[in-house]
Amino acid sequence: MTSAAQKADFSWKRSAPRLLPLALVVALALVAASRGSATYLVPEDAFAAPSLRHPFGCAETGIDFAALLGVGLLRGLGLAVVVALFGFSVGTTVGVGAALRGGALERVLLRTCDLLQAFPSFLLAMVLLSAVRAPSRVHLACVFAVTAWAPFARLAAMETRVLRGAAFVEASLALGRGLLGTARVHILPNVLPTVAVQLGASAAATIVGEAGLAFVGFGPRDGVSLGGALDQAVAGVFRAPLLLGVAGLAVFLGSAALVRASTVFSPRKRG
Amino acid sequence: MTPGPPMRAARKMAPSTAVSKGRLARALGFIASPVQRAGEGGLVVLLLATAVFFALRVIPGDAAALVLGDQASPAALATLRAELGLDRPLLLQYLQYLRGLATLDLGSSLRRPGTSAFARVGEALAATASLAFLATGIALVVGVALGLLTSGPWLPPPARTRLSRLLDGAAAVPLLAVAPAITWLLAVRFPVVPLPGDPDAGFGGLFFAGALLAFPLSVHLARTSRTALRTTTDALFVRVARAKGASVFRAQFFHALPAVSAPILTVVATQLGALLGGAVVLEKLFERRGLGTLLLEAYAGRDLPVLEATVVTSGLLFVAVQTLASLLQGILDPRAREAR
Repeated sequence: MTSAAQKADFSWKRSAPRLLPLALVVALALVAASRGSATYLVPEDAFAAPSLRHPFGCAETGIDFAALLGVGLLRGLGLAVVVALFGFSVGTTVGVGAALRGGALERVLLRTCDLLQAFPSFLLAMVLLSAVRAPSRVHLACVFAVTAWAPFARLAAMETRVLRGAAFVEASLALGRGLLGTARVHILPNVLPTVAVQLGASAAATIVGEAGLAFVGFGPRDGVSLGGALDQAVAGVFRAPLLLGVAGLAVFLGSAALVRASTVFSPRKRG
Repeated sequence: MTPGPPMRAARKMAPSTAVSKGRLARALGFIASPVQRAGEGGLVVLLLATAVFFALRVIPGDAAALVLGDQASPAALATLRAELGLDRPLLLQYLQYLRGLATLDLGSSLRRPGTSAFARVGEALAATASLAFLATGIALVVGVALGLLTSGPWLPPPARTRLSRLLDGAAAVPLLAVAPAITWLLAVRFPVVPLPGDPDAGFGGLFFAGALLAFPLSVHLARTSRTALRTTTDALFVRVARAKGASVFRAQFFHALPAVSAPILTVVATQLGALLGGAVVLEKLFERRGLGTLLLEAYAGRDLPVLEATVVTSGLLFVAVQTLASLLQGILDPRAREAR
């Protein structure tokens, strides 16, 4: 399990089918988003049936539901990717650093991760968001970032713990390379693939969490998000039940595509 | 790649050292770990209480303006500020707030004057607790049953594999994506359950909401117990039980299952946060009264005392159940006691 073997693992043949679902979902969302406005109210189109102009029909507001879902999905995906990458970089740095230092710092970090991971994050998000009237995407990203780094840090610390006793790490230290250099050259390349596996789970949790928060009313002011779309669909369930199905499907496709895409980083051949 | 085998071996060694420590030390360890857990739980509640306090007072702007809106007169704002204690120094407010928490008196609800904030939370708590309790119960029964089915010899192998794959697929489906669609199917299209928001829904409505809330937890439990049971089935004590004439069901249910209670309880405890989040979503979907709807109502109406009381109570509930789970784990599985 050297870094050279890790690099050899990456091939387009292996990665393409894993990235394809995410690419398809993004392409679909882009097409849907570009076909109409996600905020333009058209009262006479309220509960319009599916047609060429409105592929999924409209909710009560007369907004083209396809466009609403498309923009919402793109926003959700963007937020999920940003939050997951932030958690990945911060968590890995903190985890590797603490595990290399060892001692009390490491214990405190691991306990903090335990607490954060078991914490009702939905509740925490609602608490933090109650400070603002209508949360913007920056607010949402901050709220998710508070807990997002913990699983990454935990994984990185666990991997580093195993590696710090390895012969090649001791040899590197004995040959005079400093702790920072050893971490960069010998530990990080071995830790990154394992930690990266968490990216998909974190991104999926973020997109579903954002949709859930928006559904219960902690969404962006203009209502353009997956949760906002779900809320409109639930409100119009008797007139246009199809909307409910496509909104649920959009949430599922977003999270599933992210999980699938992150298996690119999976160190095993199959996963 | 995984640090599994050596670490697991190391953990298995732990009991032998614990035995040498003597009975008293072990008994103390048994008491100390729940105490430690309760202490940590208290810390979590305190952090949550602090977060909600400062989120409502410090972050942007004036809490009184948030409550009364932009057009409020300066006099009305000043009165409300005095009533909430917002005109006093922040540290003093914080200490007063902590005292209020300790004595369960955060003042009365702003939106329903005369009713104390904790009284409103108490009303909602029963509804949410029964929903969460029912969901956990359903998930335990369904999850463990599916775990037994997919690890035991009762189903023909192809069906077992198919069920296993189905579970893996279901694990990728978020509750939020399916709950509204299932509700439409069962309440509107084929009316077998009461409509969301139906005041006469009674137990049927509660059961349906509980079953929906149990969906992600039961899939999680089924997969965990499946994996754990598969490894335990080959363990010596299960084979001995079989050799002594126990039926497959008896060996799996009475011998293997208690041994895997630890991962099952761990899943329940770690998924509680998700359950609480799911409860908020479902209460909104079903228009049920509960902590979730109260929280949203207090948020929309900027009812600060109720908002604080709701958050702290949910946090307390969450921590209490987690501590209970770890205690129960020690009782069910003696190894959990000694491994600490």
